[in-house]
Amino acid sequence: MRYRSIALIGLLAALAAPTFASADTTRPDVKGLYLMTDYPAVTVQPGTTSTLNLNLRNYGLAPERLKLAVAGVPKGWTATLLGGGQPIAAAMPATDNSVALDLRLDVPKDAAIGSHTLTVSADGPNGAHVTLPLEVSLAKQLPAKLSLQPQLPELRGNSSSDFSYTMTIKNDSGKKLLVSLAADAPRNFDASFTEAYGTQQLTAVPVDAGKTKDIKLKVTPPSTVDAGHYPVTVHIAADGAKALAKVSLDITGQPKLDITGRQGLLSARATAGKQSVVPIEISNTGTAPAENIKLTSSAPDGWKVEFNPKTIDRIAPNQHKEVQALITPPDKAIAGDYATSLTASSRGETGDASFRVTVTTSTMWGIAGVGIIGAALLIMVGAVARFGRR
Amino acid sequence: MRREGSALHGLGVVVLKELSDHLTSARMRVLEWLVVLTALAAVYAAITEIRQVTAQDPFLFLRLFTTAREPLPSFVGFLSFLVPLMAIGLGFDAVNSEHNRRTLSRILSQPIYRDALLFGKYLAGLATMSVSLTVLWLLLIGLGLIMLGVPPSGEEMARAFIFLLVTIAYAGVWLALAMLFSVLFRSAATAALVTLGIWLFLAVIWPSLSPALATALVPSGDQATTIITAQMLARLSPSTLFGEIVLAILHPTTRTLGPVYLDQLQGAVMGAPLPLSQSVLVAWPQIVGLIAASILLFVGGYIAFQRQEVRA
Repeated sequence: MRYRSIALIGLLAALAAPTFASADTTRPDVKGLYLMTDYPAVTVQPGTTSTLNLNLRNYGLAPERLKLAVAGVPKGWTATLLGGGQPIAAAMPATDNSVALDLRLDVPKDAAIGSHTLTVSADGPNGAHVTLPLEVSLAKQLPAKLSLQPQLPELRGNSSSDFSYTMTIKNDSGKKLLVSLAADAPRNFDASFTEAYGTQQLTAVPVDAGKTKDIKLKVTPPSTVDAGHYPVTVHIAADGAKALAKVSLDITGQPKLDITGRQGLLSARATAGKQSVVPIEISNTGTAPAENIKLTSSAPDGWKVEFNPKTIDRIAPNQHKEVQALITPPDKAIAGDYATSLTASSRGETGDASFRVTVTTSTMWGIAGVGIIGAALLIMVGAVARFGRR
Repeated sequence: MRREGSALHGLGVVVLKELSDHLTSARMRVLEWLVVLTALAAVYAAITEIRQVTAQDPFLFLRLFTTAREPLPSFVGFLSFLVPLMAIGLGFDAVNSEHNRRTLSRILSQPIYRDALLFGKYLAGLATMSVSLTVLWLLLIGLGLIMLGVPPSGEEMARAFIFLLVTIAYAGVWLALAMLFSVLFRSAATAALVTLGIWLFLAVIWPSLSPALATALVPSGDQATTIITAQMLARLSPSTLFGEIVLAILHPTTRTLGPVYLDQLQGAVMGAPLPLSQSVLVAWPQIVGLIAASILLFVGGYIAFQRQEVRA
């Protein structure tokens, strides 16, 4: 019985042995060092810096120091191997483990268009040797990663209008980008970005991969700007990708009327019941000529205000014309100060000024009073002459 | 008998003699002290009130004249009451005391005409009033300078000076009235009583009586006509005239003294002071009224005196 038991254990052991052996063979049957990359053939643009991701992998070998080198670098190019963010010359992957490497390529601007093969190699002290050929092609134009499209690039208005441009940002790169916004506007123009439907001003906007986003650019010209055509360049940039769009403002001039007395005087004197002449100056401080200017006034009831001439045909920008206002207070006006508003209007554009008219009353009654006193004195003289006696 | 030569012969002698009599009389001294003390009290009250209340006023100095502090009336209020009293005090016995002392025929036996006597008495009374009012006016301005510390502007001084002249003219009216009654009544007491009675009537009763009278006089009951009539009636009193002149001269923002229709105020800038000439023009009818009234009252007294029998 004892022998049978031993034999059974031996049998079991014999059966178990192949089972263990078959479990061992399920692991990939690769052994050795591998230098790998996802994309062994890439296209880059001259004058840019590109980074290629490499991977040095050790399958089933003891860790050892591996010397790294890049061969076949064309003249003028700079190829740097980076590991953990700093330049490296050797790597040491552990058994069944990998080390991430970056190959940074600085391609000069004047590099000839064409294809080059760079070879990255890793050499161990015991004869281990792996190489990775990388095919780098040069192309002038790469497909854009960002694009900017204004919907209405040319707007027209006067210096007091707002110019709003709606633009679409498209992100064609493979990842979400934070796109910074900048506008290059003429001096003293105010440019700001907002969301398409919002008031919050922005300096950057996130755009998901493959998506578009609308933004609005608002340009406010200074009020004193001359009529003309003003370009604005919009720059957007994110992660080395950038795009620009040109929009423009077509500003038409606008007349602006100012009315004032001669030498800025806003007061006048008038006698009740008599016409007095007040010289007034009408100036155009706008950027376009004012035409067919009408003069009106809002004086108290019973006052007569006329202008000579009644209308002005044209005032060029930064010019002024003088007209006469003929102001007649009513006979019964009480002495004192009155407010009278004079308005010059030219097709919707108006300028007005409030004049203070000091009304004085006629001195005729004063003379009449002197006459009454004179009459009283005459009576006295008459009485003295008539009744004088010893 | 007709007079020969100038009516004013001997006028200077009479004026000087009357003036010295006035200025040395005990009656005058009492009146002077009464006026000075009450006026100073009013001014002192006005100054303390101005210091406390008035923030900013381009015519701060003129407020000295018109600001009142309960229970005292303003300086102007005092003057409109006391100036008639003083003038009546000087004039009520101008002629009848000469009668009663039997000195009139003695004076007229000198080479002095009756004309000159009456003129001289009136001018001396007016000169006395002018002297005392000017002194009072200077006193007020000096006090204002010391206690307010603000120098008056040229226009304020001009307005204050016109106010002084108007006050003298106001005194002239009452002086002429008092002299008229001193000619008409032989008894000084009667003359004084009648004059004081007329003064009280005109100053106190007449202003409140005139609206009632106007309502009776205007049968249609038209409001504007009634108001205008009432104002016209009230202006028969020299006190009313004086009050209106003071309002126009010392309150430069006064634009008119009569009733105002609303359309006349349209567009008016309220609170803007009138220039001095316009203020005088606003008050000019009242000023003319005061001057003409004193001349006519004097002429009345003159005619009565000329027709009187002086030998008693």
